[in-house]
Amino acid sequence: MIPEAHTLIELQHVTRRFMLPQGEVTVIENISFKAMEGEFISIVGPSGAGKSTLLRMMNGLLPPSEGAVLYNGREQRGINLDTAMVFQNFGLLPWLTVSQNIELGLEARSKDVVYRRSQVNRYITKVGLEGYEEAYPRELSGGMKQRVGLARALAVEPSLLLMDEPFSSLDVLTSINLRNELLDIWSDRENVVNTMIMVTHNIEEAIELSDRILILSNRPGKIAGELRIDLPRPRRKRDPLFSEYVDRVFSLLA
Amino acid sequence: MKHAALPEIGISQILGLVELLVGKGGREDIYKLAGELSMELGETLTVIKAAEMLGLVHTPGGDVVVEDFGNKVVDASITDRKDLIREKLEHFPLFKAIRDYLSSQEETEVTREEMLEKLAELIPNEDAEASFSSIVNWGRYSELFGYNDDSQTFYLGESRAE
Repeated sequence: MIPEAHTLIELQHVTRRFMLPQGEVTVIENISFKAMEGEFISIVGPSGAGKSTLLRMMNGLLPPSEGAVLYNGREQRGINLDTAMVFQNFGLLPWLTVSQNIELGLEARSKDVVYRRSQVNRYITKVGLEGYEEAYPRELSGGMKQRVGLARALAVEPSLLLMDEPFSSLDVLTSINLRNELLDIWSDRENVVNTMIMVTHNIEEAIELSDRILILSNRPGKIAGELRIDLPRPRRKRDPLFSEYVDRVFSLLA
Repeated sequence: MKHAALPEIGISQILGLVELLVGKGGREDIYKLAGELSMELGETLTVIKAAEMLGLVHTPGGDVVVEDFGNKVVDASITDRKDLIREKLEHFPLFKAIRDYLSSQEETEVTREEMLEKLAELIPNEDAEASFSSIVNWGRYSELFGYNDDSQTFYLGESRAE
């Protein structure tokens, strides 16, 4: 990490409520944290802890009921075009090819077709999808679909990449491969995006990838603890220090 | 002429397996590996066999061991990996036979139907539909072949390089 870290995004006492038929439900309660530029943060918690809601407030899709989300020190209102999202179920449009799916995120940001095409090609290369340009999602394996999802997010060159359970629809071996490739992309200094926030229920995955883990408690989601992972990468599960971190996360979740 | 079919496992799973093994010091007992991954033994063996066909691992006794080529691929960047795998696939007899077939065609392309007929001839004991989709996948990954599902045309990779 950079010595003089710059706060990219900050949540200040964020609470989020939803109106449901059975009444008002508080999904997120009084959450505060900062993400520094260059950090890889994971948010871990049981399902129903409001992890996805938290991500949607960070990209501005959802306003907080109370509190504020600050981006580069300014209160965020509306969708933040400086962020991009990777989804659990890839979020691809089945009637569009790989190239067209990747271009989709760029259309909201630029009218310059030549620029858009060059960005598409650049990020197709980065994630290893050359040769798949005209394929449709139905022709792709889960691993390749998530590479498309990643390329689409990276192509807009966001400063903050938000990921909602990006590996949990993939088989165990494919997810190992994509986690490694994501780390390669994160550590590649040529890339614009170097700050990543990932939501996951997989504790080992969070320890393998993150600089810092935020642990959410259930209903309503509150921060139950925070853990900095001081292990060099690549991190190995059989390392006894790795197991210690797993135990610590479990004890904070319990 | 009969040819060996291509691995019917995608590249992501194969790379994941080799990356996992490298993290374990390059060697593991196959039975233990299947248990640890919560995968069926048969499924694990299919991935291992695919990795072996590509020269990434070998399987002495009941173990799976990463080859030098496997280490090289794991250490390589995302784009260099594709080049390394392409060099391997270029030497697969089935890939060579398909290349020769496409090269003999006008515009170096054929329809999906023509390709299925050709596959029935090249690998008669395999399910041609399954082989076709596997060849399309490996062809795209290695950029040796391409396929357009709208026009149902299968073509030689270099002929439409953008």
